[in-house]
Amino acid sequence: MDGNPAMRQLVLCALASAIAAFVPTLATAADTLANPFPNGEAGFIVSKIAYALSKDAKDTGACPDGMTQGNIEIYSESAEGKKHDGESDQDYSRRQVQGFQTLSTAPNGQNLCMNPEAGSPDPHYKVVTGKNIPADGIDLDGQDSHIGGKPAANTCAHDDFRGLNGEKGVDNQFFRLVGCSKSYQSTGQSNTYEIAMYTGEWAILITLKGVKDLKNSPNVEVGIYASADPIQLSPTREALTNATYAIDQDPRFRATTHGRIVNGVLTTDPVDVRFHWVVNSIHLERPLKEARLHMTVAPDGSLEGILAGYTPVEELYDFAYGFRNGKDGAGKPANLRLISGSANGQARVLDHTCNGAYFAMKQLADGDRDPKTGQCTSISTQYRIKAIPAFVVDVVTHSGNETLDKQ
Amino acid sequence: MSNMSGQIRKPSAARNTLGRLAACAVLSMPLMGSVAVAQETSPTEPQSAGGPPEVRRLTESQYRATVADIFGPDMPIVGRFEHGLRAEGLLAVGTSQAGISTFSFEQYDASARGIAAEVVSEKRRDQLVPCKPHAENSFDAACAKQFVEHYGPILFRRPLTGEEIKRYVRTAQAAQQRLGNFYQGLQFALAGMLVSPDFLVRIEQVVPDPKHKGQFRLDPYAKATRLSYFLTNSTPDAELLRAAGAGELDTDAGLAHQADRLIASPHFERAVRAFFEDMLEFDTFNELAKDPVIYPAFNSTVALDAQEQTLRTIVADLVTQPGDYRDLFTTRDTYLTRALGAVYRLPVATRNGWEKSQYPANSGREGILTNISFLAFYSHPGRSSSTLRGKAIRQVFLCQQIPDPPNNVDFSVVQDSSNTKMPTARIRLEAHRTSPACAGCHRLMDPLGLTMENFDGVGTFRAQENGAPIDASGTLDGHEFQGGDGLGQAIHDSPQTPRCLVDKMYRSASGRKATPDERAYVDYLNQTFKADGYRVPDLMRAIAVSRSFYAISMPSVSANTLQHAAVHTSNGDRS
Repeated sequence: MDGNPAMRQLVLCALASAIAAFVPTLATAADTLANPFPNGEAGFIVSKIAYALSKDAKDTGACPDGMTQGNIEIYSESAEGKKHDGESDQDYSRRQVQGFQTLSTAPNGQNLCMNPEAGSPDPHYKVVTGKNIPADGIDLDGQDSHIGGKPAANTCAHDDFRGLNGEKGVDNQFFRLVGCSKSYQSTGQSNTYEIAMYTGEWAILITLKGVKDLKNSPNVEVGIYASADPIQLSPTREALTNATYAIDQDPRFRATTHGRIVNGVLTTDPVDVRFHWVVNSIHLERPLKEARLHMTVAPDGSLEGILAGYTPVEELYDFAYGFRNGKDGAGKPANLRLISGSANGQARVLDHTCNGAYFAMKQLADGDRDPKTGQCTSISTQYRIKAIPAFVVDVVTHSGNETLDKQ
Repeated sequence: MSNMSGQIRKPSAARNTLGRLAACAVLSMPLMGSVAVAQETSPTEPQSAGGPPEVRRLTESQYRATVADIFGPDMPIVGRFEHGLRAEGLLAVGTSQAGISTFSFEQYDASARGIAAEVVSEKRRDQLVPCKPHAENSFDAACAKQFVEHYGPILFRRPLTGEEIKRYVRTAQAAQQRLGNFYQGLQFALAGMLVSPDFLVRIEQVVPDPKHKGQFRLDPYAKATRLSYFLTNSTPDAELLRAAGAGELDTDAGLAHQADRLIASPHFERAVRAFFEDMLEFDTFNELAKDPVIYPAFNSTVALDAQEQTLRTIVADLVTQPGDYRDLFTTRDTYLTRALGAVYRLPVATRNGWEKSQYPANSGREGILTNISFLAFYSHPGRSSSTLRGKAIRQVFLCQQIPDPPNNVDFSVVQDSSNTKMPTARIRLEAHRTSPACAGCHRLMDPLGLTMENFDGVGTFRAQENGAPIDASGTLDGHEFQGGDGLGQAIHDSPQTPRCLVDKMYRSASGRKATPDERAYVDYLNQTFKADGYRVPDLMRAIAVSRSFYAISMPSVSANTLQHAAVHTSNGDRS
């Protein structure tokens, strides 16, 4: 066994004493087929994850003011950014890059992706303003909120969406933030970040205990963890069922809560969770406050549904736009040039401005209201996920290549 | 203690147990009866005519082990090995029947050049070259001779003749003169030895038997070589060559001492692994392919780990304990990696490497026949195969031959595994067996193979096929049982199971099938195996110290010819 062989109490997915004693007390294979929750316990690895958003803006009218523009586009549409007569494509491209750099620099000379606070709200950054726009997700604050109405406790005024099936009260301000960004449309690149999960950068585990009945179980203990192990894939790059994964040993990446299964739907009480996230070898963290699951329990033992909660705005900016608190593989601050290059490169490729995104998310924040300022500090965020059966163990594991990470 | 043939027998674990049981006999009459039977049947080795001297090419595993033992375990081998010839169920037998193709010789040459270059390389020469030349740019005949005399005997497994030593020294000198460097000269001399038939092929020499006029026996070095490759899968070490040179292997005590020494060495495990790798036909395992859509958990890592899982179980049960061979078919103890865990649907905490584990009770999985290495190996790329599995059980573990199917068989029914009108393999095979041409063989294969239908084409458990419950009942020699665990118990209990192991072990050791004249000897080995509690190390020792293992008979060659050859051999003239 890798590293510390001591097993914690939390050996999940019907493992219990199986590993240390090499006598698995968990379900037999036959049991696994007949009952996906032997002993009322089961483990899962998230195999599909994406932001729960909506249909494309062009189909819903979500963005009547147009789509978000990046600094290349902004410069190119300005008077000085027009292509000159006789100017070669190469020269024009070079001038566009210079224009991008100028627009990406704050009045005080700082780079805006690294210091969005030094800038100002960007009118070219568009958010969802259309009326009656459907959005995927669940009700987080317990009411159908409207600007002008009384916000729920600890939240700020915002308009809820109606769900994809007409449900009321869907809190999904993250969709409002990115719904007019081209990269978040169905053909864009931003909502395909699970690719990194499939390359082994990070993974998410879920455990259930106390499942007495697949349809109705009143008291289920739920664990939501970052995985210490990379996802295991088939030759066709599908996540494997029944593979074994260890829970991250860092307590910040481990959360347990309670839930219930009613009519085959698992819902859980809010709990703060935190996952790993990697961009260009920059190690980041993806937190979700007051996170809860709303998932259908399938007869084959898989879970499918929503993971939703509130993402702190500053951390959202850092893991999704600026990467400012990124670390390297050894846990030290990542190379600043790598961070700056990645943040500015992403802004250029995905057509947004860093300051535009930063001020928009602060404006749209709807959770964790600061009683002193009255401002909310987190933004409702919904993920649509699927989780498949896995063996979840609580042991220390190491990568065979971890020495490479520290070089 | 000594048996009637004068050979020394090592008290086995089983015998010690029986001794303890005898002490309790006054308290237990049934046990006393068992002891009495065991004592009455204490076997004695019969006279055996033996077989002809063999010329056996080194197997891949023997080549690798030999190179590792002589030059170090990290010595790279760059050549590839062609598939060996499997005869009488074993590659070990095929080594005495197959030639060396031009491709294979090219690969031997590439390996030889690579090894030789590595041996004389600057980083290794201090360790592997036994002398330093006066100067690198001139030829040092004394050092070259020392080099040849050092490696010659351990590569050829016998002392070199004077002419052989001169020949390889001349090779070193010629190469040095052309290339200018002394070490490059040694490199070519060593490469020459490594592609010599004396290295690549175990050529057994005979000498007149002084105790039996007109008969012959293996010369001491051939005897040492048989013993060493049987018990370590590698070349004789220095101590064994010394004992051979001193004539100690011609005495029962000397032979037993060397056999016990080799069995106690860590290399004995290697020999056991090599034998079972051969018996289980793992040489073609790496060519196993599965449809990734149907069996997503199967990949090349699983294929490698599956073989190792079974071999680890074998070593643990048969060498480390050592336990009853038959228990391999009923043990729930096993070893797992994460890749295997996904197929078995079992948790494996260890991320990199192996973990001792156990199949859950009542899971239907017991013994090595329910391992992936059997279930996946004897299946098709996209479906299980009761026929392949049943045939393999008969042939591999019971030594029973099943003829190949006729050319004009209609397989359409059995191949359509998605046929909902015939949802299970049992139903499809029953339809297939309506053909009289197929029925005979399938009656032998199917009752065994169908008991493993709870395992799909890679070995994952399934309770149903196409929505229909699987009937995993079967029979062996009239004994009815259910499922993979029932099959394991039936194989465990079959008297043919240990007999087949004895038969294959002797074939592997001797490189040939036992002759009719050796029937009594094989019976003796069976009795010994049983008396020793079916412990494989005891069986291998019994073979290794038996006179029959080294007996030589050459009825088809005139005595004069052999006498002539033997005289030349004894004079050291081998060229």
